[in-house]
Amino acid sequence: MAGPEITWYLIVSAILFSIGTLGVLLRRSPLIVLLSLEIMLNASNLALISFARLHGGHDGQIFALAVMAVAASEVVVGLGLIVAVSRRRLTLDVDSFRVLRG
Amino acid sequence: MIQGAWLCLFAPLAGAFAITVMGDSITRRTAGWISTLSVFVAFAGAVVSFVGLLGESPGEREHLSTAWTWLSTGSFKIGMTLLVDPLSVLMMLIVTGVGGLIVLYSIGYMDGDPEERRYFAYMSFFVFSMLMLVQAGNFLLLLVGWGLVGLASYLLIGFWHERAEAVAAAKKAFIMNAAGDATMALAFFVLIWQTGTLEFAEAFVGAEGMSSTLLNLVALGLLGGAVAKSAQIPLHTWLPDAMEGPTPVSALIHAATMVTAGVYLIVRAHPLFELAPSIQDLAAGLGALTLLVAGFIALVQTDIKRVIAYSTMSQIGYMFLGVGLGAYGNGMFHLMTHAFFKALLFMAAGLVIHHLAGEQDIRRMGGVRRVMPKTFVAFLVGSLALVGIPPLSGFFSKDAILASALASGGYGQLLFAAGLLGTLLTGLYTFRLFFVVFLGRPSELVLQHAQGSHGRPEEEDASRTHGKTAHGETASHGEGPWTMTVPVAVLTVLAVIGGWLQIPDVWHPFGDWLHDVAEPLVEPSVTQDLVASALAVGLGLVGVGVAWLFYGARSRELPRVAGVRHALEHKLYFDELYDLVFYRPAVWMAGVWRRTIEEPLIGGSITGVSLGARRAGGVLGETQTGYLRSYALAIAAAAAVLVVVFLAVQ
Amino acid sequence: MGNFLVWAVWLVAAFACLGSGIAVVSFTNAFYSALALIGNLGSLAVLFLLASAEFLAAAQVLVYAGAVMVMFLFVIAYLGDTAGLPFRGGGPSWVSVGAVVAATAILVEVVVAIGLKAGNALSSVDEIESSFGSPGEIGRVFLTDHLLAFEITSIVLLIAAVGGVILGTRTRAEDELDAQGAAGQETYGRA
Repeated sequence: MAGPEITWYLIVSAILFSIGTLGVLLRRSPLIVLLSLEIMLNASNLALISFARLHGGHDGQIFALAVMAVAASEVVVGLGLIVAVSRRRLTLDVDSFRVLRG
Repeated sequence: MIQGAWLCLFAPLAGAFAITVMGDSITRRTAGWISTLSVFVAFAGAVVSFVGLLGESPGEREHLSTAWTWLSTGSFKIGMTLLVDPLSVLMMLIVTGVGGLIVLYSIGYMDGDPEERRYFAYMSFFVFSMLMLVQAGNFLLLLVGWGLVGLASYLLIGFWHERAEAVAAAKKAFIMNAAGDATMALAFFVLIWQTGTLEFAEAFVGAEGMSSTLLNLVALGLLGGAVAKSAQIPLHTWLPDAMEGPTPVSALIHAATMVTAGVYLIVRAHPLFELAPSIQDLAAGLGALTLLVAGFIALVQTDIKRVIAYSTMSQIGYMFLGVGLGAYGNGMFHLMTHAFFKALLFMAAGLVIHHLAGEQDIRRMGGVRRVMPKTFVAFLVGSLALVGIPPLSGFFSKDAILASALASGGYGQLLFAAGLLGTLLTGLYTFRLFFVVFLGRPSELVLQHAQGSHGRPEEEDASRTHGKTAHGETASHGEGPWTMTVPVAVLTVLAVIGGWLQIPDVWHPFGDWLHDVAEPLVEPSVTQDLVASALAVGLGLVGVGVAWLFYGARSRELPRVAGVRHALEHKLYFDELYDLVFYRPAVWMAGVWRRTIEEPLIGGSITGVSLGARRAGGVLGETQTGYLRSYALAIAAAAAVLVVVFLAVQ
Repeated sequence: MGNFLVWAVWLVAAFACLGSGIAVVSFTNAFYSALALIGNLGSLAVLFLLASAEFLAAAQVLVYAGAVMVMFLFVIAYLGDTAGLPFRGGGPSWVSVGAVVAATAILVEVVVAIGLKAGNALSSVDEIESSFGSPGEIGRVFLTDHLLAFEITSIVLLIAAVGGVILGTRTRAEDELDAQGAAGQETYGRA
């Protein structure tokens, strides 16, 4: 195949995944956390596509499509939550949702 | 004959058991009669054994009867064995005879006490324990009887348990006796180790092979037990306090029987003591020391029972002196006569106390003779016997011991001198007591109670004397009910004639009776007998005379030697010394251990477990932070770890 | 020459992807973050093309960048200034440290896994036809081999739609609260 080998795609995917992880763990705004979550999902999509190309089968791509659909649904629900929270005049801060504190 | 011995042993136990089981369903009086009858039945059994032994020739008078094997481990066997021999039968007769009279006396003395049944159960139990002690066929059963006697003494001293002094006295007696029990047990351990047996005969034979150090240790251990039980120095401080118990208890346990158990032990184990002569000499020395110290202290006592208690201590000192020098027969003879006149003295004192509604302070008494003439006679007889005036019993027995001391070489003669001084003191303190209580003009207190009808104690006496005597509405007048006066009369007669069983060189059935069991080491000559007797009687009379001067005619003032009087009143500070040396360190140590071990380790470990569990729970609870981000971090970290695991497993 | 071009495009796309990713995570303004994410998605689409997944590249741009990101932007506009706040920081410090450590650990491990374990297996790329990632192929596979995944995905989307509607309705109680003008902001839990 022309261009870089699959290894490179995978490395890009790995770095993107860790960037997304950092974003999820370090940001306090739920909106940004959702965005970071999207990055993670996309990173895994990239990995799936690369493996599909490697093996010459469509399974990876189908899987990536499903992931996309699920990610979209999850974004819908997540944004709905954020809007509901803001409608109740609560602080949009991940650290302040501590009802589960034991 | 053997059946007689078994009957003797178990009749009092059956009596105690019956009283306990029947409880409230019998009247208090009935309990008293059950107890008395059980002891008299025991006396009958003892007489049967005695007669049986009489019929045999002297060499054959030893019978061991084993009911069953009690303990058997390896080659060491102990049976439930009774020994019927002259010594044990002698003790059986004394214990059940005098004991029976005293229990009879108690029916009158304790009349009206709400817990009379308990008292009589304890008395029967005591008689059983003492009989177990003297009839034991091996050392282990003797130790069992020893311990049970200590228990009975504790129960009876603390009979009026609402009184704190009685409880304290009971504990003191028990703890001091426990020290003696411990030394005895140690001696028995050594015996078992060296000879492999605790039967009398085999142990004595086996002991001849032991090293002298071990023999000394064994003898010392036995002596320790004897000293504790017989209230000799240094384990003597419990006996005066034991007077907190009812007077019949003092008469029976602390005059006639239990405190003589030490003397019996030495005579029974005399082969062991003869193999450790230095310990035997020590016993004699302790006896001499005690008889002097007790005599001195008795001079300043103001409680009628305490004077008699110190007198007991002193007389047992004489017995120890006797058996310590090897005069076993004479020592036991004094034991018997002492049982008679000392019990008599206690019981007569009890009549006085009973009549005066519980008063025991002699300073409040006086002129009791006018009110209680029969008691006066009884007390006089007892006192004369105690001092050793012929022809009363004490004369024969005490002088026999003194003669033996005179015949025992240099050391013996030193002790003889001490014994003579003792007779002077005996005369002095005994007749001090007698003159103060009985002669002179009747004191107020005596006049109050002069009519002879016993009502409830009056106001100010009530608080002081409550619980000391029992008072009922007795129909009898005079000096007491017949249950009290008859035993006193019997003992009076015995105190007079009891000594006539052994007149030196004229006839000595008593000495012959015990000869095969315990051959005396020393036989005084006629001259020594006469010299000893003359000196003893003379000094005794001197003592009586001095007492008359100060207390009888009241013609002279008492010499005031302040420091001495103070020391004597404090009983030579033995109690304070023991408190300092034993009690305070023990309490301090207990406190230290409580602080360093009990509370932190044992108490702390329990609370520590609960606290630790709580804290662990708390720590674990910290993981539930509620932080979304920390949960996410946990997931990420777990994922990282899992990747490593997968890579490693690959 | 062709190879060189491919390489160049790939590099540009890769760096754009990573750069925009970092931008998403680090901007304070949520709007800028969302825009950066759109850039990220675009560069990813280029990468997909280079990996012969044409349909997916198109879907990525259409669905993700087109629909999902628009939704994001609508919400950001609705939330206004409060959207991006607060910035990172606060909370227990160990979370921050732990986060960096965990992310680095995952990265390192994955790289190690790729390098060490799968080294040779990744070199042999299978041959493919020219119609490999085309919509026709994807459609065919969806409706034959992976029909179940297709159906379930559609159900998931349905549920999400319903959930979105539920979350979006205002209750009467909330209307009354608004009318009373409940001022100030509550906080949940025992912060």
